Amino acid sequence: MSAGLEATGLEVTGLCKRFGGIVVADAIDLAIPPGRVVGLIGPNGAGKTSFFNLVAGMVRADAGRVRLDGTDLTRLPGYSRARLGLARTWQNLRLFPSLSVLDNLLIAPRRYPGESLAALLRPARLRSAEYQARERAASVLERTGLAAIAHHPVADVPFGQQKLIGVARALMNDPRCLLLDEPMAGVEGAAYGAIQRVVRDLAAAGIAICVVEHNVAFIRDLCDEGVFMFAGRVLARGEVGTLIADPRLTELYFGT
Amino acid sequence: MFSLVNLLQIGWTSLATSSYLVLFTLAFALVLKVNRVFNFTQAAVMTVAFYAAYTLVSLLHLPGAAGLLGAFAATLILSALLEIGGFRTLRRRRASPIFLFIFTLIVSELVSYLAMMVYGTWPTTIFPSLFWPVRIIAGVAVSQWDVPAIGATIATVAALFAFLRFTRIGRSMVAVADNPDLAEFYGIAKDRVYLVTLLAAGLISAVAMFLYGTRAQVEPTTALNLLLFAIAATIIGGIGNLGGAVATAVALGLLQNGSILFIPSSWQGFLLYAFLFLAIVCFPRGIRLPRRRLVRNTPTPDLDDGKAEKA
Amino acid sequence: MEYLYTIIVMMALYVILASSFDFVIGHGGLISIAHPIFYALGAYASALLAKDLHWPIVLAIPAGAVVAMVASVLVALPALRVSGDYLLIASIGFQLGVIEAIKNLDWTGGAGGLSNIPGVSITQGHGPYVIAVVLIAIATVALLRFVAHSPYGRAISALRDDEPAFIALGRNAMHMKIGIFALGSAIAGLAGGLYAHYFRFLSADQFGIMQSAALLTMVVVGGMRSIWGPVLGAIVLEALPQALTFLNLPPSILGPLQGILFTGLVLIFMFFRPQGLIVAGDVWTGRRNAKEAAHVRRA
Repeated sequence: MSAGLEATGLEVTGLCKRFGGIVVADAIDLAIPPGRVVGLIGPNGAGKTSFFNLVAGMVRADAGRVRLDGTDLTRLPGYSRARLGLARTWQNLRLFPSLSVLDNLLIAPRRYPGESLAALLRPARLRSAEYQARERAASVLERTGLAAIAHHPVADVPFGQQKLIGVARALMNDPRCLLLDEPMAGVEGAAYGAIQRVVRDLAAAGIAICVVEHNVAFIRDLCDEGVFMFAGRVLARGEVGTLIADPRLTELYFGT
Repeated sequence: MFSLVNLLQIGWTSLATSSYLVLFTLAFALVLKVNRVFNFTQAAVMTVAFYAAYTLVSLLHLPGAAGLLGAFAATLILSALLEIGGFRTLRRRRASPIFLFIFTLIVSELVSYLAMMVYGTWPTTIFPSLFWPVRIIAGVAVSQWDVPAIGATIATVAALFAFLRFTRIGRSMVAVADNPDLAEFYGIAKDRVYLVTLLAAGLISAVAMFLYGTRAQVEPTTALNLLLFAIAATIIGGIGNLGGAVATAVALGLLQNGSILFIPSSWQGFLLYAFLFLAIVCFPRGIRLPRRRLVRNTPTPDLDDGKAEKA
Repeated sequence: MEYLYTIIVMMALYVILASSFDFVIGHGGLISIAHPIFYALGAYASALLAKDLHWPIVLAIPAGAVVAMVASVLVALPALRVSGDYLLIASIGFQLGVIEAIKNLDWTGGAGGLSNIPGVSITQGHGPYVIAVVLIAIATVALLRFVAHSPYGRAISALRDDEPAFIALGRNAMHMKIGIFALGSAIAGLAGGLYAHYFRFLSADQFGIMQSAALLTMVVVGGMRSIWGPVLGAIVLEALPQALTFLNLPPSILGPLQGILFTGLVLIFMFFRPQGLIVAGDVWTGRRNAKEAAHVRRA
C-alpha cells in the first residue's frame, strides 16, 4: 500500500455534480478522519446517495477532488477506488443472489485471483490466493456472526442478516473508508445490535466511516458527529443531538 | 461524373429514397423510445405489410389503395398479436433483455421463413412494373413515384408528431418514454401505451413498406436489412431523439447514394454496416441524451435515492 | 460412411459453437448474436493461411482462432465502453459488414465462395480427423465447465447478477467482459478452422443471421448456462433437420421448413419452458474439494 502517506482518512473538496438542471452536489467539502463515524442526515433528494455514488466513482463528478489517506482518487474508476480501500454498501443491498453467503464474500478481496482468465493457467498460485481469501472470509464471517450460514444461498437468508452480509462483503476488501447506505433500514432484533457492534469495532480499528441513515436513533447512538445535507449542499456539521434539535434544520427535513 | 446535374440527380434520388428510410427509422426509434425495446419484430411487421399488399395488388389484381389498406390491417393485427401475446407476457415475467431481444429477432426470422414457404424466395414487387414515368425538370429526372412518396412521408411524420402532441394517448406515450414508473404513478396505463406505440409503429412501417415495394424488389429477407439501416440512423441520431433519427436517416440515405461516385455499388451494403459500426464507435453519445432528460423530468424526491444508483 | 462422418463432424462443431456461445450470452450475460462471424473469421483465416501461404493445417487452425479472438476484442472494446446494449448492435454491424466485405473481396473467393481449401489427406481417410474433431468438442465442453466452476466462473456469476455492486467491490467488469467475449470467440474461430479443412469450401452467406438463430435455438432449447444444455441442444437440433431431409421435400420447401422448425421451437420454448431442456441451477457451485470445505466448517 501507499507507504509513507499518513492516514488522513477521506477528504472530499469542492465536489460538484449536476444532472441537467438538477444539482445533486454543490461544492461539497467533507473530511472524515480515520476512526470517526460521520452520519449524513437530510431529507430525501438532499444528495446523500449521490454523494456516495460520486465518492465511490459510480458517477463521475463535474468538479472537485476525492482523496483517501492522501491518495488522489478523483480520476480513478470505481473499481480502482475500491482496490485502494474505499468500500461501500448499498441501500438496496445488491448482493449476488446466485452465490452463497461465503461466495458473496469471496468476490470481494482486494486481490481477486478469479478475475483474469490468465490466472487459471497458474493453478498453484490461484489455489493459494483462494486459500487466503477463504481464511479472510472465515474471519470476517466470524466477526459478523454469519459463520453458521456461510453456505446458504443469500436469497434464503433473512433480511437483517442480508444487510450484515452487505457490510461483511465490504470488509473483505480491508477498507480504509467505509460508506454505509442506510445500513439499518428495515432491520430489527439481533441483526440491529450486530450491525451496531460491527460498525463500532471498525471505527475502533481506525476506519473512516460515513453513514446515510433515516433512523435518527441509530445516528445518535453510533455517530461521532452528524452532517446535515440539503439540495446537494452541506448546511451544518456538528454533534448529532444539536443538529436534530435545530429548528431550522427540522423545518428543512420535514419540508413545508 | 461530378457535374452539377449529376450531383443534383443524386441529391434528388437520395431525397426520394429517404422517404421510406425516414419512416422505417421513425417506427424503430419510436418503439425504442417508448417501449425501450430494440424491436426486431418490426422486420416481421414490414414483411407482413409487403406481402399483404403484394397478395391483394399483384396476385388478386385489386387497386393499389386496397393493397395499402390490406397492409395497414395486416400490420395492426400482427402488432397487436405481438404485444398482447409476446411482449406483455415477457414483461410480466420480467424477462431479461437478452431474452426479449431473442424473442424479437426470432419472430422476425420466423416470419421471413413463413414468407419464403408461402411466396418463395424470388424478389417480387407490389405493382407488376417498377417503371414510373419520368419527367426531366432542370436536367434532373423526377419520376412520378418521387413526389407522392415524399408527400406521403411528410404527411406521416406530421401525423405522428401531431398525435404525440395533441392526443391524450400520444402525450401519455411521451410521458411513459420519459419515466415509465412516474407515468404509472399518475394513472397512465402502461400496457395500453405500449400497445398503441406498437400499433403506430406498425402503421408507419406499412406506409414505408408500401412505398418501398412500389419502387424496389422485395424478398423475405429484405426487411431485416432495411431495419439495420433504421437502427444505424437511430443510434447516430441519438436514442430517444425522434427528430434526430429522422434527420440522420435523410443524411445517411444521401451518403449511401452519393457513395456511388466513389466506390462500386456492390459495396453499398458494406457501407451501411460500416455506418452502424462507426456509429457505435464514434457517436455513442446518443445514449446520454435520454438519460439526462430522464433525470431532469423526475421531480426531486426520488432522484438520488433511485436513479443515480442506476447510472 | 462419409455421410455418417459428416453428421458426426457437424454435431461436434455445433457442440463447440453452442457451448462457447452459451458461455458468452448465458454465463457472461453479454448480449451478442454475432457468434457465427467469429466462426467465419476462424474458417477464412485458417483456409487462406493454408491455401495461399501454405501453412500446415495444424498451425493454420489455431491461427484462425487467434484471428477470431483479436477481432472479438476489437469489436467489444469500443462497444462495451458505452453500454451492454451496444455490443449487440456493434456486433451485428460487424457480422453483416464482414460478410459483405468477404463477398466483395477477391482474395476471399468473393460471393462465389472459397473453394479448394487444403484438406486433410484423403489417402488416410477422414476417420482420424473426425475423431480429432470429436475430441476437441469434448475438450471444449470440459474447458468451459472447468472455467464456469472456477473462481473465474464465480466472478462471472457475480458480474451477471449485479454489475455496479461487482465494480464497487474492486472488480474490473470491463476487463472480465472482454475476457469472456474473447474466449468464446476464440473457440468459435477454432471450430471455423476445423470446418474449413473438412468441407474445403466456404461461402460467406452461411455465417449470417440465420446461423445466429440456429445457435440461439440450440442454447435456448438446450438450456442456458447449464453446460450440458447447449450440448444436448446442438445434437438434437443437428439431428432434426437431418431427419427432415429423409422426407424428400424439394429444397425450396425444405430450407424454409427447417428455418420455421428452428425459430418456432425457440418461441415455444421461450414461452412454455424458458429454462430449456436441462435446467441450470440457481446457485453457483465451485469445485469445492473436501479440504477446503472442512476448512470453512472449522472456521
